[in-house]
Amino acid sequence: MANKNIRTLSYRKELEDNLFENIAEASQKNNSKEELQAISKRFMIDDSVVVGTSSFYDFTREENKNKKIHVCSGTACMVANTQNNLHQNLEEHFSSDQIGHAACVGRCHSNSAFMFDDKTYNADTVEAIDTIINTKEYQENRYTVLANTTPILTSKIDNVVDFYKLAETKKSNPQDCIQQLKTSNLRGRGGAGFPFWFKLDAVIKEESEQKYIVCNADEGDPGAYSDMYLMEHQPHKVLFGMYMAGLIVGANTGVLYIRGEYPDSIKIVNDAITELKEKDVIGNFMFKIIRGQGSYVCGEETALLNSIEGLRPEVRVRPPYPAQYGLYGKPTVLSNVETFANVHWILQNGGAAYAALGTQQSTGTKLVSLDSFFNTPGMYEIEMGTPLQTIFDDFGGGFKSEVKGLQIGGPLGGIVPMHKIAELTLDFESLGNNGFLLGHASFVSIPVDFPMVKFLEHLLEFTADESCGKCYPCRIGSHRGMEMLQKAQNENYKIDRQLFDDLLETLEIGSLCALGGGVPLPLKNALQYYQEELKEYFTNN
Amino acid sequence: MTAYINNIAYEFQSGETILDFVRRIENNKNAIPTMCQDDRLENFGSCRVCSVEVAREKDGATRTMASCHTPVGEGFYIYHNTEKMQRLRKNIVELVLTDYPSDKVFPAENKKATPFQETIAQIGIPNIRYPEGETHLDIEEDRAHPYIKSDLSQCINCFRCVRACEEIQGEMILGMSGRGFATNIIKGFDTTFDESACVSCGACVQTCPTEALTDKYETKTLIADKTVRTTCTYCGVGCQLDVSVIDGDIKGIQAPETAEVNEGHTCLKGRFAFEFYDHPDRLREPMIKKNGKFEVVTWDEAYDFITEKLIQIKDKYGPDAIGGISSSRATNEENYLMQKMIRVAVGTNNIDGCARVCHAPTAYGMQQSFGTGAATNSVEDLQQADAIFLFGANPIKGHPVTGAKIKQAFMKGVTSIVVDPIKTKLAELATYHLQIRPGTNVAILNMLAHYIVMDDLVDKDFIESHTEKYQEFKNHVEYLNMDELETLTGVSKELVRKAARAYATADRAMEFHGLGVTEHFQGSKTVMLLSNLAMMTGNIGRNGVGLNPLRGQNNVQGAADMGVQPHQGAGYLDINKPEIQQYYADKYGVEKMPEREGYKIPQMLDAAIDGKIKALYIMGEDTIMTDPNTNHSIKAFEQLELIVVQELFMTATTEMADVVLPASSYFEKNGTFTNGERRVQRVNKVIEPIGNTKPDGQIIIDMMDRLGYKQPTGLTYDAAKVIEEIADVIPFMKGLSWERLGENGLQWPIKEDGTDTKMLHVDGQFKKGIGTFHHFDFQETPEIISHGKKYPFILTTGRELEHYNSGTMTRRTDNQKILAKDILEVHPKDAIKKGIEDNEVVRIFSDRGSVNIPIKYSKNVKRGILRTTFHQPEVFINIITGSVGDKETLTPEYKVVAVDFERI
Repeated sequence: MANKNIRTLSYRKELEDNLFENIAEASQKNNSKEELQAISKRFMIDDSVVVGTSSFYDFTREENKNKKIHVCSGTACMVANTQNNLHQNLEEHFSSDQIGHAACVGRCHSNSAFMFDDKTYNADTVEAIDTIINTKEYQENRYTVLANTTPILTSKIDNVVDFYKLAETKKSNPQDCIQQLKTSNLRGRGGAGFPFWFKLDAVIKEESEQKYIVCNADEGDPGAYSDMYLMEHQPHKVLFGMYMAGLIVGANTGVLYIRGEYPDSIKIVNDAITELKEKDVIGNFMFKIIRGQGSYVCGEETALLNSIEGLRPEVRVRPPYPAQYGLYGKPTVLSNVETFANVHWILQNGGAAYAALGTQQSTGTKLVSLDSFFNTPGMYEIEMGTPLQTIFDDFGGGFKSEVKGLQIGGPLGGIVPMHKIAELTLDFESLGNNGFLLGHASFVSIPVDFPMVKFLEHLLEFTADESCGKCYPCRIGSHRGMEMLQKAQNENYKIDRQLFDDLLETLEIGSLCALGGGVPLPLKNALQYYQEELKEYFTNN
Repeated sequence: MTAYINNIAYEFQSGETILDFVRRIENNKNAIPTMCQDDRLENFGSCRVCSVEVAREKDGATRTMASCHTPVGEGFYIYHNTEKMQRLRKNIVELVLTDYPSDKVFPAENKKATPFQETIAQIGIPNIRYPEGETHLDIEEDRAHPYIKSDLSQCINCFRCVRACEEIQGEMILGMSGRGFATNIIKGFDTTFDESACVSCGACVQTCPTEALTDKYETKTLIADKTVRTTCTYCGVGCQLDVSVIDGDIKGIQAPETAEVNEGHTCLKGRFAFEFYDHPDRLREPMIKKNGKFEVVTWDEAYDFITEKLIQIKDKYGPDAIGGISSSRATNEENYLMQKMIRVAVGTNNIDGCARVCHAPTAYGMQQSFGTGAATNSVEDLQQADAIFLFGANPIKGHPVTGAKIKQAFMKGVTSIVVDPIKTKLAELATYHLQIRPGTNVAILNMLAHYIVMDDLVDKDFIESHTEKYQEFKNHVEYLNMDELETLTGVSKELVRKAARAYATADRAMEFHGLGVTEHFQGSKTVMLLSNLAMMTGNIGRNGVGLNPLRGQNNVQGAADMGVQPHQGAGYLDINKPEIQQYYADKYGVEKMPEREGYKIPQMLDAAIDGKIKALYIMGEDTIMTDPNTNHSIKAFEQLELIVVQELFMTATTEMADVVLPASSYFEKNGTFTNGERRVQRVNKVIEPIGNTKPDGQIIIDMMDRLGYKQPTGLTYDAAKVIEEIADVIPFMKGLSWERLGENGLQWPIKEDGTDTKMLHVDGQFKKGIGTFHHFDFQETPEIISHGKKYPFILTTGRELEHYNSGTMTRRTDNQKILAKDILEVHPKDAIKKGIEDNEVVRIFSDRGSVNIPIKYSKNVKRGILRTTFHQPEVFINIITGSVGDKETLTPEYKVVAVDFERI
C-alpha cells in the first residue's frame, strides 16, 4: 500500500488534530502558503503533501479561493436548463470570477440551485436572488417525502433516548446482530450492493486495538439527495447504525464523511451528535464529522479513506480491503448512509421481517430521488421490486414535459429510454440484468429537446474533471473522450467509432475504480438507444 | 495452492501477485509489460498495462485484473497475453502517447532505450487516432539543481518518483498536484528541486522510466563501454555501485537493485559525487619538498629519498622513532600491508589509523563486554525490531541509506528512542527524545539502567545463563540519585523512565550508535554501559536486537580488522603476548616481531613534541585538519624529521610533508572494504590509475621492498593474492577469498568452507564465553572542569549529508554547490542575548584558539549548546577543539568543547 509513511504520520494526530481539516482550513486563509507550510512542519511531512491535497479539491484549490458563490453544476440542474439564467442573475451581484461551481447541492427537485454563505438555495428570479444575497436568510430545502410500504427509513423517531435503548439490549450478542443482518440480506445502498453483514463479520475477526466505523456521506451522484434526506431528517437512524456497528465489531469511533455541498446535513448531524452526548446515550463512542471539500471521487471508499487522512484522495489498490486496512490502515467498516440507516429497523424487527420486503435478492426498501421533471418531485421510500412505472405514476405524478429517457443511479448509471421503463422494476437485478444500474436510485430526466451528445459530453466532462488522476484510462481516456465529443459538436469532425469503442473498452476494463470503469455504461446505452440522434457525430465504421 | 497460466497448472505462493507468479513461472521479467511497477515499491496499479484476464474455470468468462496488485487466488485461470489484453495495452499506450513528445518515442541516437521506450516497443507502438487535444508538452524544464533535472513534458504520471521519494528515501519532496488530466508532479511547495528540501539521493531519477527525471550525467540512457560493480568509498554502509565507463572516463553511477546492502538505492555522495576523481587538483606526480617548495620527482627518487631518511632515523633513534598512520578509506589489503610494513619492514608497533578519532571506543568497549568489537547484527534486522534505540548518531546525514531505513521505521511508528543533544530529524520523529547535555552519556545510561532495574524489567534468565558481574552493576545503579542525574543530563526522570520501559519491554530492541557515543572522555565506558543495557534485557544474540555501531568510514571496520592498531595485530591478536608475536613472525616469514606496544595517534603527536617520534608515514589521512587542537598537531609535525603522505589531493597535512606520494582513488584499484555490519565487499577497478599515481597498496609493497622486505604475494599489488594471505593470518577470515566474495560480499566470521555470519553471540553464546557487566560513575569531562567557567558554551561537532568528513573529495564535486559552508547552529535566544543576528559571522573561541564562522539561529540545539561541522578548511574548526580524549582509547572528545563566541 502506498503512502504508509504519510498515513502513519497523519495518524499520530488522528482525528483530533486532523490533517485534512487542517489543510482545508489553511487553504482558505489569505496567507495560505505559510499556513500550509506550518502544517507540513507540524506533521513532519513535506510541503508537497499539503500542496497535493489542497490542490485536489474544488473548495481548497488556490484558483478557487476567491469564489464567493457556487452555482450547482449537477446533471439535474443542467437538463432543467436553469443555470445559465441563474448565472446571469448572479452576475448582478458578483464578478464572474467570484462565481464558482458546485457539483450538485441536492436541490434536484427544484433546480436553479446554488450554494452561498455556507447554505444552499433555489432561486429562479432576480428578486429572489436579491433577497438571498442581501439577507443571507436560510431557505428550507423542501420536497415531498412518502413511502409505498412499511416505512423503514422515512418513519418518525418519537424519542431519541428510547430509540438508542435497542443498542443496550443487542450489544451483548454481536454474533446475533450479524446473523440478523445476514438474514435481512441488507445490501450496500451506495450502489455496489455488497452484503453489509459481511463487512461487520470481516472487521470483527480482525485483531486490532483501533477500529473505525466510517459512514460514506459523500453523496456525489448528481441527481441523488436521499443521503441528504436521511442526514437532515433522520440523522439518528444513521448515527444509530454506525454506533451499533461499532458495538458489534469493537470500534469506538465513527466518522461521517459528509460532502461540503451539504452544509445543512453537516449542521444537523452535528446537532444530533451533540444531542447524543448531552443525553449520554452512546457511552464512550465518539463521532467525528469530516467535511468534504468538493470531489466526486471521494465517494469511492478508498479515496474517501485517503481523504480523511489528509492524503490525496487517490484510489487505493484492493486488496487489502478497508475491513483489513481501512482508515489509518486500521480495520474499518465503511458503508453508505442509507445502509446504516436500515440497521435499527432490522435489529428491532428481525432480519426476516426485513427480508420479507422486496425481492429475494434485493430486500427491503430503497429511497428514490425524483427530479423536477416529475410533477411531484421528491424523496420516496419504495419497496424493492416495485415497477418503475408505478413509481413514476403513483409518486412522481407523471412528467411536466416530454422526456426521452432517464439516467438512473447517478452519472455512472444507465441511460434508460422511455420504452424500457415498463419492463423494469426497482431492484439491483432488474436494472442490472437489463444493462442498467440501480446505483443510488436517483432519477434524472432527459427532456426530448436536450441533445444526447451534449449529455454524453457532460458525463465525460464530469468524469474527466472528477478523475483522481491516478490510473491512465480514466485520467487520459475520459479527457480525450470529452475532447472528441466537443470537437464533434463544434467542428467538422466525426468521431472514429472504432476508436470510441476502443476507448470505452479501455475505460471499462482498464480503470482502477468504478469512476473510469463505470462511465462507459451510460455511453454505451446512449449509443445503443439513441443511435439515430448520435450517428451524425460518428463515422460509420 | 494451484492456479493456471494458459490452462497449465502451477503451484503459487501465498500472497504472490499474478505478475510475480507469471514472471516466476515463465522465468521472464518481461512476461507481462509494466510501466508503473518497481519491485522495490508498494503495489500501485496506475498504468494498467499489466492487466490480465482471469477466469474461475477453464476457458470460462473472464474478468480483467491488474496483475501487479492482484494476488493469485486458488483455481485462478490466468490468461495474460490474449488478444483482448494486447488490445487493451496498445490502447493505453495510445492514450499515453497523446500527451508525450513524439520525438521521444524511440531512443535517441547513441542512447540506450529508456524502460518506457522498451515497454511501448514490447506492447507495439500504435498510430495515434485521437485528434489533437490538450497536452502537458510545454511544461518548463527544471535545470536549477546541480545534479537532478526534470523535463515533465516526458512525464507519464506513473508516480514512481513520488513513491520512491517516500518509500525508499523517506522524504516527500516529490508529490502530485491537481487532479484528473491536470495531475502533475511537483517538488516541495511546487518549486524547483534546488529550492525544495530535496536530499539529492537520486532515487527518483533511477526509478523514472522516461527521461522526465534525469541526472546531469544522463546515466539512465548511457551506452557504456563497460559497467563495473564496486563498493562506495564514502561511509560505512557499503553501498554497491554500478559505475559506467566510456573511453576510460567515468560517466555515471547507478545503484544496483540486486545489491543486498542498498537494494538499488544510495545517496548523493555515492551516486553523484564522483567527479573528484579526475579533478585538476588531483595529485598526479610524486613530490619532494626542497627549500620549502614541492618539486616533482620520479617515483624512484621519492622512494630512495624516503628509504634513506627512514633508515637514517631508524639507525639513529631506533624503529620506535617512526610511526605510521593508516587510513580507513583505503582497502583492507592496503591497510593490512601498511601495518605489516610498519611492523615488519620498519620494526615498530607504532601503527594506528583514523579509527582512533572515531570508533576505537566501540571496538574496545564491546570487546570488554562481549569479546568482539563489531556490530552484533545486520542492518536488515531493522525489519524485525520492535524498538529502535539510537544513541549519539544522525544516520540520515552520516549513513544515508541506513538512515533512510531507520527513518522509514520511525515514521511507520516503531517505538523509537533517540539520545542526542541535537534535535535531529530522527529525534523529532522519535517516540522519546532524550536531549541530554553533551558529555552526560554515562549519566543518562545509568538512569536508564536504574529504571530498568527498579521496575524489574530485566531478563533474569539471560543474565543468569550468559553473563557475569551483574550484581555489582545492579548494586551500583540501584542507589544512584536520579534527581542529581536529572539535573546533570537536563532530561526529566519521567521521560527517561518511559524510554527505559520502552527499551526493556520491547520484544526486540535494536541499538545503533555513532560518534556521539565514542568521541567523549567517557567514550569506552559509554559503550560498555550500552552493552549492559542489551545484556540486562536479553537484547543480544537474536534477530532484530543487538549493539550496532554505525561505522563512520567505508572501511573503518576493516582497518581495525587488519591490525591497524598499536596494541593488536591483524585479527585483533594481542601483540604484547610472546606467543602472538611468534604467530605473526611465522606468518610473515620474519624472525621476530616488535615487542613494545605502539603509540596511538595522540601519543605519536605528543611523542613528536617530546622528540621521541621523528618520522611519520601517513597513508590517506588529513591529520592536521581532522585531529583536534590543530595548533598542537602543527607543533608536533614541526618537530618531525620526515613526513611522508600518500594522498589524492593536497591537504593541510600534505602541506607539511617532506614527500607527497600521489595515490590512486578507489575507482583505480582492486581490493575490499568491510562495512559496518562486518561485510567484506569487493572494490573493483573501474579505470586505470590517473596520471602517474599508484594504488596505496602498490606504494607500500614498493616501500617494503626498498626497506628489505619482499611481500610474498609478489612485487605487484594484487588484491586477490593479498586476501589469500589475510585469510591465512586472520583466524576469523579463514574462508575468505576473492572469488567467494561474489557480488554481495561475506560477513565475518567466515568459516573455512566460506559460510559467513549475519549475527554474533547467537543465543547468548558470547565470543568471550560470557558477557561481562561493567559499572561506572558519571565523571565530568576535564574540558568542562578546566574551561567551563571561562567558556560557558558547549560546542559539539557533527556532519552534514553533502560532505564527507574533511571534504577532500566532496568539496571537489557539485556537492559543494549544494552546501558550501560550515555554519554554527545557535539557539536564537543565546544569539540575541549577545546581539548577534541570524547569518552573521562570529568569532568562536576556546582555550586553544579561535575561528570565524557564520551562525544560524536554530532551535535544534538547547540554550548553551552550539553545533557545527568540520567540512570546510575555510573554518578549520579543529583549531578550537581540545586534547581531552577517551581514557581507554584516547579517542578525542570532539563532541564537548568549552567555547564562547562573540560579535566580530
